[in-house]
Amino acid sequence: MLDVSRVQKELAECNRDQAISGVGIALCDGGSDLSHLTGTISGPVATPYEGGTFRIDIRLPGGYPFEPPKMQFITKVWHPNISSQNGAICLDILKDQWSPALTLKTALLSVQALLSSPEPDDPQDAVVAQQYLRDHQTFIATARYWTETFAKRISVDIEEKVQKLVEMGFPEDLVRSTLKSVNGDENMALEKLCSS
Amino acid sequence: MGFDAMANDASAHASNPKDAAKKKRGNRSAKLKQCKLDARREQWLSQVKSNKDGKITSTCAVSPSVASPHSHPPLSQTGKDGAETRRRREEDERDDSSLHEMSDLDSPTHSPTSNASANPSRNAQSIINILSSSGSSIGSSSRSVSDEEEEEAGKRDQGEDGGVLDDWEAVADALTAGNDPGGQESGPQMAQADPVASPGSADVGPCRRASTHPEPVCRAPRAWRPDDAFRPQSLPSISKQRSFTMGMERHWGGPSQKGILSLPSSCPICCEDLDSTDSSFLPCSCGFRLCLFCHKRILEADGRCPGCRKQYDTAPGGIDGNGGAVPLLPLRLYRSCSMSSRY
Repeated sequence: MLDVSRVQKELAECNRDQAISGVGIALCDGGSDLSHLTGTISGPVATPYEGGTFRIDIRLPGGYPFEPPKMQFITKVWHPNISSQNGAICLDILKDQWSPALTLKTALLSVQALLSSPEPDDPQDAVVAQQYLRDHQTFIATARYWTETFAKRISVDIEEKVQKLVEMGFPEDLVRSTLKSVNGDENMALEKLCSS
Repeated sequence: MGFDAMANDASAHASNPKDAAKKKRGNRSAKLKQCKLDARREQWLSQVKSNKDGKITSTCAVSPSVASPHSHPPLSQTGKDGAETRRRREEDERDDSSLHEMSDLDSPTHSPTSNASANPSRNAQSIINILSSSGSSIGSSSRSVSDEEEEEAGKRDQGEDGGVLDDWEAVADALTAGNDPGGQESGPQMAQADPVASPGSADVGPCRRASTHPEPVCRAPRAWRPDDAFRPQSLPSISKQRSFTMGMERHWGGPSQKGILSLPSSCPICCEDLDSTDSSFLPCSCGFRLCLFCHKRILEADGRCPGCRKQYDTAPGGIDGNGGAVPLLPLRLYRSCSMSSRY
């Protein structure tokens, strides 16, 4: 089974210096399942991802830390080694090069490093990799646009929407879960909240 | 002097062959002596008991059967050497003062002679670390062999414990009568304080062999102290490992034991505390340490070192950190094995 004590220590350790390292881990949806976490990494400076906050879904297999954690971007990213469709990450340490000596924090830092140094020769997303190699300017522009669109606004938007809906008199946790279930669409969430 | 009577009483209690010598010393604080005796006895008994529980050995109290041969020197005591007697008295004074420190815990009695320059660390050391106290008491027993030895032993006493002297013998003798289980448990520390006596006494019996067990002995009080402080049970758990490689690791692990303070105290993989077996376990030349459980688990899977991702050697490692070992080691190893196999 999952080594709970180690995961708990990792969480504490990682979140102690979140402001400096730029990576953080939290339980997914504020639940109590230690095997399902959400990591956040801040976009590295001097890259098209600068200023964005990227959320990563982390699932810990029962064999963790002897098996690598499963990580996938929740936030959409334009990057040769990250699927623009489903957020799958192509990173060796999350696959065959995983070592039990690595931690969730080091893995997230590696993902962060991957953002600043793409590997187009070993792509996860062939379209992005092609663009990266053939039309670098467009790649940069697209990546920046995606960062602006998905890695910055959503979190701000969601907070605003939550605020608005809470002011209408709905309980905050219900608002959050409803907003999530409708993918952040404020009107659909309101509809759902009213009908429920 | 009423004290004299009490002193005699104490000595009689001990049924010590050296009664005469004890009387001569003009004990000025027989009451304290008695307290000390009792305290020592308790200490010793609990020591033996815990050792029996934990099955061992290395830090264990010196057995009476082992200790008493050292006390053959009553010969020279009864020789009525004036200078020696004087010196003994001085040492008794020192003895009493440190006794005073110790007995404060057990009795409200205060020694009027507690003016000696008492090293405060002695107190804690002698209480907590019985190991060294047994060592020094042996040292003190060798004192009567000759004046040179006496001085040596005195120095050792100063360095280690400074305190507990002849009463150890008294306790040991007193306990010899009905309480012999410790006879099996001669600690290696014997040789530490009494290198002169041990070769000569090598013919006494099987437990003697343990006492000629030379090197780890000297190292033991220093190197094991962290273990003693944190988990006293760890030593017994080591010596349960009777397999050759384990013993080897243990004894070859001198440097790693010294470095124990700088080592990670918990396994980086599972975050469990490393016990001393784990601490001396060095499976990969890259120096990455982990506990035996995690190592086993990794061997069942891909078998690569988490630290360097190199394949673990198929042969269990652990020796590579200490290639330049002394040729004495295998011999020592054999002895320690034979010692532990009796339990």
